[in-house]
Amino acid sequence: MLYGWMGQIIEVDLSVRQVKFIPLDRAQAKIYLGGRGLGARILYDRVLPKIKPFDPDNLLIFTTGPLTATTSPTSGRFSLTTKSPLTGTIFESNSGEKWGYRFKKCGFDALIIKGSADRPVNLIISNDRIEFEEANDYWGLGLHQTKQKILSRHGEGAVFLAIGPAGENKVLISCIMNNGRRALGRGGVGAVMGSKKLKAIVIKEATGSVPIADPEQMKFIVYESNKMLRAHPMTSKGLPEFGTSVLVNVINEVGIFPTRNFQQTQFAEASKISGETIAEKIFVKRTGCAGCSIQCGRITRTSAGEGEGPEFESVWALGANCGISDLDLVARASHLCNELGLDTISTGGVLACAMELSQRKIIKTDLKFGVSKNLLDYIKKIAFRKGIGNELAEGSRRFACKYKAEKYAMQVKGLDLPAYDPRGSQGMGLSYATSPRGACHLRGGYMIGAEILGVPKMINRFSRTGKGSYLAEIQNAEAAIDSLIACRFATFALGTSYWARLISAVTGLNYTSEDLIAVGERIINLERLYNLREGFTYKDDTLPSRLLKEKVLAGPAKGYVVDLQPMLEEYYQFRGWDKRGVPTEKKLKLLNL
Amino acid sequence: MPKKKYQDVYEEFKKIGQAIFLAGLNNSHSGNMSLRIGDQILITRRGSMLGFLKDTDIIKTGLSRNDSGVALASSELGIHRAILNNTSALAVVHTHPLTATALSLVMPEIIAIDVEGSYYFRKIPVLSFEFGSASKEMEEKLPVTLKNYKSVMVKGHGAFSIGQTLEEAFQYAHITENIAQIIYRAKVMGADLSQLQNAKYLKW
Repeated sequence: MLYGWMGQIIEVDLSVRQVKFIPLDRAQAKIYLGGRGLGARILYDRVLPKIKPFDPDNLLIFTTGPLTATTSPTSGRFSLTTKSPLTGTIFESNSGEKWGYRFKKCGFDALIIKGSADRPVNLIISNDRIEFEEANDYWGLGLHQTKQKILSRHGEGAVFLAIGPAGENKVLISCIMNNGRRALGRGGVGAVMGSKKLKAIVIKEATGSVPIADPEQMKFIVYESNKMLRAHPMTSKGLPEFGTSVLVNVINEVGIFPTRNFQQTQFAEASKISGETIAEKIFVKRTGCAGCSIQCGRITRTSAGEGEGPEFESVWALGANCGISDLDLVARASHLCNELGLDTISTGGVLACAMELSQRKIIKTDLKFGVSKNLLDYIKKIAFRKGIGNELAEGSRRFACKYKAEKYAMQVKGLDLPAYDPRGSQGMGLSYATSPRGACHLRGGYMIGAEILGVPKMINRFSRTGKGSYLAEIQNAEAAIDSLIACRFATFALGTSYWARLISAVTGLNYTSEDLIAVGERIINLERLYNLREGFTYKDDTLPSRLLKEKVLAGPAKGYVVDLQPMLEEYYQFRGWDKRGVPTEKKLKLLNL
Repeated sequence: MPKKKYQDVYEEFKKIGQAIFLAGLNNSHSGNMSLRIGDQILITRRGSMLGFLKDTDIIKTGLSRNDSGVALASSELGIHRAILNNTSALAVVHTHPLTATALSLVMPEIIAIDVEGSYYFRKIPVLSFEFGSASKEMEEKLPVTLKNYKSVMVKGHGAFSIGQTLEEAFQYAHITENIAQIIYRAKVMGADLSQLQNAKYLKW
């Protein structure tokens, strides 16, 4: 008897509209768990090297984890892995809401989509029945109308993943939207779905349940875990009360809130777009994912209507990074990105890049920092690839390169930086440089926890010594969490020892905290091998020159640049990689790779 | 490697060493602590006074490879290396806390009865060795237990506590002693420990 996993994977070939059911490889499941780990293994094994991201043979791999759809805290998550058209790297993204929860209850651990349809199509899943639905009349619709159509055809209880116009138009910064409000974000994963002419994946009915090996022990560990979540100020107060934007004032005050395309590190008007101001001015109600007590999401009301968000990263990207402090507009911009299926971080990133190019008279546009009147128009232009929007739709690196101004694209491996300036958080700089999917606070290791928030302990944010080792351990732990799958916010309160006990109770296999870390290390190395196979080298483990050479001019991080090289050397050394960032044979053998 | 590179780390050793001593977790010359950086280990000198560390009391050597540093390093170097090599810990603090060590002589494992102790640990395993100091047996068994616990008692000897930083490992060492003190004091006041201990924590 298999516990925690459902034992079955769906494989769909859109080119011939064929569905196959294949058994889950149990040995693989045990050492990769699910989510990010299982996705990486499948992508590495089944996608040919150097494949073009829009090639029909590129895969969309949706995976759940052994904790998905159990009573474990934040168990509503699922994951997507593919080759990114924006970065060319392996790309994993995960999301909450209800889709993953319901998908697993249909009796499956993963959904692999290959091929490409000749005309728009939807996939309809109802327990173990999978059907294709013609989607010509969905194509071109925004997420709101897509949702209405799906619910009217498939019932009010249906949940869905869908792309918006941005994904259909293969915009390289497009998302796959989750029930129209959450996202599988970053890296242009929506464009991969668009290239396959797949508009939506709908789940109509899901009546199964996840078998638990030791229900009594599970009940006990869940009880203990929930006590911790209720006790921790971040998971019991900060996030529920103010949402993720609780970070705006915190990050701004310590001088690492990137402003005007990272030209400054503090935004004088940050308080106008802070979590507190959102709560006071536009908040309607809290919302959240299946199986989550934190409920960090918020429905907000703007002059244009209600929508979900904006999250911290969106507030920053479309606000401070563009020099804009009009909260109503920032929230509308975020809602519009959701409607069109655009990644808010990269949309803000490429717009800020264009603003700086305008500021420096490298291009001629009416895009200016702090000027808000045309922001929404530009977002639409990106989604529909209209005018200059067609260039912006390629992401900041390609856009800036076109004008021989790559140094103004604040990206790593093509992925735009998120909302933390690493000059005042040295470990975060190393995190961006080594993240397998490009500059990312979630895949590179969330060093803000230790360097700014003091979780689990405050460490010197300006120091370099020891950071390579520390970051590697954080990355390992986080890769394991992404494979269970649990929400990163829960890890503020729950260390790996809790997750090890939860997964042991669910699966009946005895995982220690260290076993989870080993799973994470294996995944990080496998992702590294994938990227090396695609032609990436140690030279790509770097940062935009601004962060390496231009000292912060004012604020608490004044005078700092990122001192990357010594941290990188220590990181490679700790990982058992050679000086060129290649895992040694000894290390691979140790990890069964 | 120029000394300056590690100056931040030396200062941390001094700060935590003094805190350990002031907390009464060691006698004048007992205990040791270490930190992993890349494939190196920094560890306190054999016989050093943790409460009054100098730069020269912090010895750098290989995490696996020996060099002349081993001549000066703490006699528990092998155990520190084993823990740092076989767990994800980056720091180890070894203390000789009086009450916890006394309890380790009479209890097979220490179940926390106070709120703070339960919040962090729930229970602290007690390991027994034929030779409970710097032995090969300890090098083999301590890392295995520390894969699932942040602090472990060696019967009649002391605590090994781990963390990602020296401060974190120190905190766990201190909590270990606090848990023991509260158990001891409650017992002295006549409490029935079986009524105070959550039996479920035995399965933690």
